Amino acid sequence: MTVRSSPQFLALPFALLAIAVFFAVKEPAFLGPRNLTQLIVEFSIVGTLALGMFMILLTGQIDLSVGSGVGLIGGIAAVLVFQHNWPAPLAMLAAFTAALVLWLLMGTLIVKQRIPSFIITLGGLLIFKGLFWLVIQNSTIPVSRGDQDNLYSLLTTYYLPSHLGLALAAIVAIALGLLTYFARAARHTHHLSVPPAARVMAQWLVTAAALVAVAHLFNQFRGVPLSLLILSATAATVYFLTQHTPFGRYLYAIGGNEEAAVLSGIAVHRVLIGAYVLMGVTVALTGFMTTAYSGSSTTTVGDLMELDAIAACVIGGTALKGGRGTVWGVILGALIMTALLNGMTLLAVSPEAKFIARGLVLTLAVWMDVKLSR
Amino acid sequence: MPAASAHSPLDISHSSFDKPLLEARGLTKKFPGVTALRAVAFDLRPGEIHALCGENGAGKSTLIKLLAGIHPHGSYEGELRVDDHAVAFHSIRDAEAAGIAVITQEFALIDELSVAENIFLGRAPRCGPLGLRVDWLEMHRHAAVLLADFGLAIAPETPVHEIGIGQKQLVEIVRAIDKRSRVLVLDEPTAALTEHEVGVLLEHLRRLRAQGTACIYISHKLDEVFALADRITVLRDGASIVTLPTRDTTIPAIIKHMVGREISDLFPRRPVAASASKPIFSVPRPVAASASKPILSVPRPVAASASEPILSVRALTAAPTKNAPPFLRDITFELRPGEVLGFGGLMGAGRTELLMHLFGAWGHRVSGQVTLRGQPFPAPTPRDAITRGLVLVSEDRKRYGLILPQPIGFNLSLSSLARFTRTPPLKRGPQDGLYTRYLALIDAPAEHEANQHFFTSLRLKAPDQHARVGGLSGGNQQKVVLGKALMTEPTVVLLDEPTRGIDVGAKLEVYELINRLTAEGKAVILVSSELPELMGMSDRIIMLTAGRIGGEFARADFAQEKLLAAAMGRGAAQRGE
Repeated sequence: MTVRSSPQFLALPFALLAIAVFFAVKEPAFLGPRNLTQLIVEFSIVGTLALGMFMILLTGQIDLSVGSGVGLIGGIAAVLVFQHNWPAPLAMLAAFTAALVLWLLMGTLIVKQRIPSFIITLGGLLIFKGLFWLVIQNSTIPVSRGDQDNLYSLLTTYYLPSHLGLALAAIVAIALGLLTYFARAARHTHHLSVPPAARVMAQWLVTAAALVAVAHLFNQFRGVPLSLLILSATAATVYFLTQHTPFGRYLYAIGGNEEAAVLSGIAVHRVLIGAYVLMGVTVALTGFMTTAYSGSSTTTVGDLMELDAIAACVIGGTALKGGRGTVWGVILGALIMTALLNGMTLLAVSPEAKFIARGLVLTLAVWMDVKLSR
Repeated sequence: MPAASAHSPLDISHSSFDKPLLEARGLTKKFPGVTALRAVAFDLRPGEIHALCGENGAGKSTLIKLLAGIHPHGSYEGELRVDDHAVAFHSIRDAEAAGIAVITQEFALIDELSVAENIFLGRAPRCGPLGLRVDWLEMHRHAAVLLADFGLAIAPETPVHEIGIGQKQLVEIVRAIDKRSRVLVLDEPTAALTEHEVGVLLEHLRRLRAQGTACIYISHKLDEVFALADRITVLRDGASIVTLPTRDTTIPAIIKHMVGREISDLFPRRPVAASASKPIFSVPRPVAASASKPILSVPRPVAASASEPILSVRALTAAPTKNAPPFLRDITFELRPGEVLGFGGLMGAGRTELLMHLFGAWGHRVSGQVTLRGQPFPAPTPRDAITRGLVLVSEDRKRYGLILPQPIGFNLSLSSLARFTRTPPLKRGPQDGLYTRYLALIDAPAEHEANQHFFTSLRLKAPDQHARVGGLSGGNQQKVVLGKALMTEPTVVLLDEPTRGIDVGAKLEVYELINRLTAEGKAVILVSSELPELMGMSDRIIMLTAGRIGGEFARADFAQEKLLAAAMGRGAAQRGE
């Protein structure tokens, strides 16, 4: 909320542009509708997880267990669908509940037993990994039986029909317009300053045009991917929570000064447990999407995703010490992270080099965070 | 006419003794949007104690940061001279090499290390064949000597986080003195000290002066300044107003220079009958809510004693943790609406612990009853306390009071957010539920309006409520903490050292605020280490000594000697731990 004016806010779009130009020059297919659609699905997966991580980092805590958790939750749902023949929605509901319970448990352990989150979630990383491999018996479990599509497998393969995509873009644009209008009216009744109507109108027009243009671009290939809608809904929820509710204020307050937060009457324990439960929600969503994206649950699903999520947050200006960060930053960070990975895959960069590049990006982001925290 | 000495000290004396050790010529320092220093002239002679006075924001801290190399050479205009040579400090290290040691209000001790390790940080005595091993024995021996020399009863092995804020201050001074610095810069060194500790400190500074160490002394406590300093320089709005020898001036004269106006009474007595105006410190509500209007016009203490106590504490005994021996013992008192009850005592007497315990932020209750507005208050948390109308303003505003990286508005409304949440039209759940407390939409304009109200009525000096709290001066930060507490609409306000480290003008505003609160029928507990303040503002005073009540005094019996005797356990010379 206060970082809008920081240099990073402008730096991020430029970095993204530079990356896009670099890969587009090397391989023009990078900007083709097919690859862009693929990139957006991958972005949705990383972005959703990063949004959960964002709320954890805001409080100054960390969660290293989410990568293994993603694999485990996706695996549970896959096993229920494929081996036990459960209907996909029910299987996903069961796995979702498991995620809530696990993260409630971890959050409670961290705050009540005062064990550092780094250690608890490092333990979680290993335990979830073990549980995951146990659940899938070290084998490959498809997310659907035969070639039948189900809700699970469709998560990353369903695209909105083109007219529906455009209609949705229009609806979102109108909703945004209404929200802006009512917020403005409320400020008026409280005698607060409002930005000039012409500027607000222009901003809205640009946003609306961008929304329709994006929908149109997706329609060039298959349509707006369902996973992007999941990410958008998650982002809208996290934005609302962090910027417009007491819960969100408390996240920033705890990360800024936990002792002062306690003495300000904030139930710090509850808020922290809440943040971990919400992390569990995004782990489940990501688990389903990423497992569906790879078509089946295998031992490598979710590997190192905790680091991608943390990197996305930190690139986007979230402080590892807590108390600073924005949803927009996280979204841009996730987009940068995904663009890098996707571009390297497209250029057939060797896995060794990809690991090193990922590590460098993470290190660079943390280094920038440290510089900025001073 | 004596101001001339600030510009050309050589003119008034040609003896080498009076040659300035340190001199500032025409220092101007600009920050984006603010000019912090305007052509400041200042000089320090060997073996003198030179006090810098001025309200917060007058430029004292900026000047010190220039002297200490924190604002490096090149970031300001003008000239710094040491021993009559122009110098360019690029870092704190450069300044230290020139013999300048700065002790700031922010402690530079490492909490996890021991007292001895902190004193010898970066210069531990060595032994062994290659001088690679730290000579712990020598370090602890030497530290013990230094501490004893300063009258500090701390073992050198004690981790710093276990000692109190006052002792930390003294340890820092011990460290600087042992580094054989030629110029000692002390920024509010006594803000956290008790009268006894202040006495010890002043004595040491006089001794150091006799040995030739020069000292720049910054304090809001003018009686200290006058007891100690040889000369006084007053800064106001970034400019050096005047430099005077202490013997040629008076406290009122200095205050006049500091504020640019006269302050006749430092402790305004509270109005006899509260004016029937609308209470200033209640939150404006979007909807008319007449029920919340605080009771007005509570008469002076005489009548107040007839009313029901708002807070009553009986035989309270509390320990730091469940299995530790009790620290507060057998505390009994009552607090009535419209009353200011003062708590005094030496450092470590348990004043802060008592307040924190009542607020639910410290210790374990062994026995005793606390009753708040007629209802028992057995095991509070800060959240419960705030909900029930009891609020604390902590002595350590940066640690316990503020979210420094966040704006003023964020901090002001932090304890009152549930009041600004909107319940959706269809769902009318319990007002205190999870939903309204955490997940409901904050009515941003209403919140903004309430913040603006406090921003204006507290007379906060900042561009607007979006300014970050971390960048404000001490007095303004304190106002934000007070505003946050008052926005919760409390009936009992616990104030722990509310005027520590803030300037005269801001102090006055705090006193006026206390008066307004009591006029609205609220009750105030005031903890202060400054006896004149305690005596000026309280209706009754309770002195604590080593966790017990050492004496209770009505306004008619206020006398410094009596209060001090009670603080020391009826005159016995033993100190509380």
